[in-house]
Amino acid sequence: MASTQGPTNVLIAKSTLISQGAEAAKNAHETPLLIKHRFSKGYRHKTLDTNLTKARVAGEARALIRCLRAGVNVPGIRMVDATEGVLGIEWIEGTSVRKLLPGGAEEEEALDEVTEDLSEDEIDPLKEFGVSVDQLMHLIGTEIAKMHLVDVIHGDLTTSNMMLRRSPNNESDLVLIDFGLSYLSALVEDKAVDLYVLERAFASTHPDSEPMFQSVLDAYQNRMGKEWAAIKRRLDDVRLRGRKRSMVG
Amino acid sequence: MDLFYFPHLAPERATTHVALFRNVTNAAALRKRIIGASTMSGEAGELEREEINYAFIEARLITSWLHLQTAVYQAILAETQNALRTKTVHSEVLWNLNPTNNITEAIRRYGISDTTTSLLVVRIDAGTIPANDMELKMKKVVNGEIVPFSQIKDITDWSTIKKYHKLVDELAIKNARGDAVKECVAVDNIVTSTVAMKSVMA
Repeated sequence: MASTQGPTNVLIAKSTLISQGAEAAKNAHETPLLIKHRFSKGYRHKTLDTNLTKARVAGEARALIRCLRAGVNVPGIRMVDATEGVLGIEWIEGTSVRKLLPGGAEEEEALDEVTEDLSEDEIDPLKEFGVSVDQLMHLIGTEIAKMHLVDVIHGDLTTSNMMLRRSPNNESDLVLIDFGLSYLSALVEDKAVDLYVLERAFASTHPDSEPMFQSVLDAYQNRMGKEWAAIKRRLDDVRLRGRKRSMVG
Repeated sequence: MDLFYFPHLAPERATTHVALFRNVTNAAALRKRIIGASTMSGEAGELEREEINYAFIEARLITSWLHLQTAVYQAILAETQNALRTKTVHSEVLWNLNPTNNITEAIRRYGISDTTTSLLVVRIDAGTIPANDMELKMKKVVNGEIVPFSQIKDITDWSTIKKYHKLVDELAIKNARGDAVKECVAVDNIVTSTVAMKSVMA
């Protein structure tokens, strides 16, 4: 190799940063690609850092493929460079559910804009996708149930981690994204906590969202079938105690 | 003749020529030649190996341009990181395409076989040889006609692909049953994703 920089680093250097958490960036090639880069953490020992990063990239990729095979709408995997901590995933053309629901617009949007564009604000952004709020909630519940049926726990269900994608046939579909905290589990507890996390996310980002979340649960129940009863009971428990199991002992 | 160009890769690996051959008539002989070349020694062996220095891929098992591109890209990536699991970057492409870790199986399924009639010939290199010359070199080795890659849609054997990837009983495929287009899109996405994550597969 002429340069010490690997090809993946060059790729990242050519990409546009869209948000930094774990660092995700859009690449400007003819087929757009989302690159999720877990950069190396200087404060960790080199060996540990490499191993952790590799394990996390692999874990995220495995959760995605499991979902894909089960027909859950998730982005496809396009490239993996575990050594560099890079996961390349399909670019989803759409909008995050957070931005589509009342109260979810980004805080950065300047205040004056809000006052100016009041009339425009009244246009429901969902119209563009041809779904009503209720239909959207239904899509969310169904997609989560499909995922839980194959024992994938998302770990970070929020309205920001769901996107509504325009389909060519005018039927929008809901795509679950960011499986960075996901894991495999068949436990009722884990599924209930997953739902509880989403409920809290709804309550904190979208005002008056109780009826919305209820329709999510209705659709979830429909899809889950007989597993639902146990999850429902556990969800009620979790609501009382919070997502951390009791620390007794 | 088609090509992949990855501008961000080292120049010696930036270009990949791809030719889709149909009505191939010398598959059995070509397969023997490849096996023979691997054991030839001396300068004659080097020359012979250079003559057939391509990835020969069973075209019926390729679902899309993206599928092939992913396999090629991951192979080049493994090579630049000295992480090849097979002997050459070209055999690595075949290994990437097969969902299991068995190299022999990968070559048997995705490589050329005696019954192959549609063949993808792939050459990963610096791209210093113009496409026309590359085409002539390939035609010297393969007896068949070169067609545009887009004809892959008439060649893909979806049921064998579903069998190799154990997709027949998967929900994604069951849900799409009856809608051939939807099913192909789902299979293509799963197969491409499987290739992309091959390096971190369990």
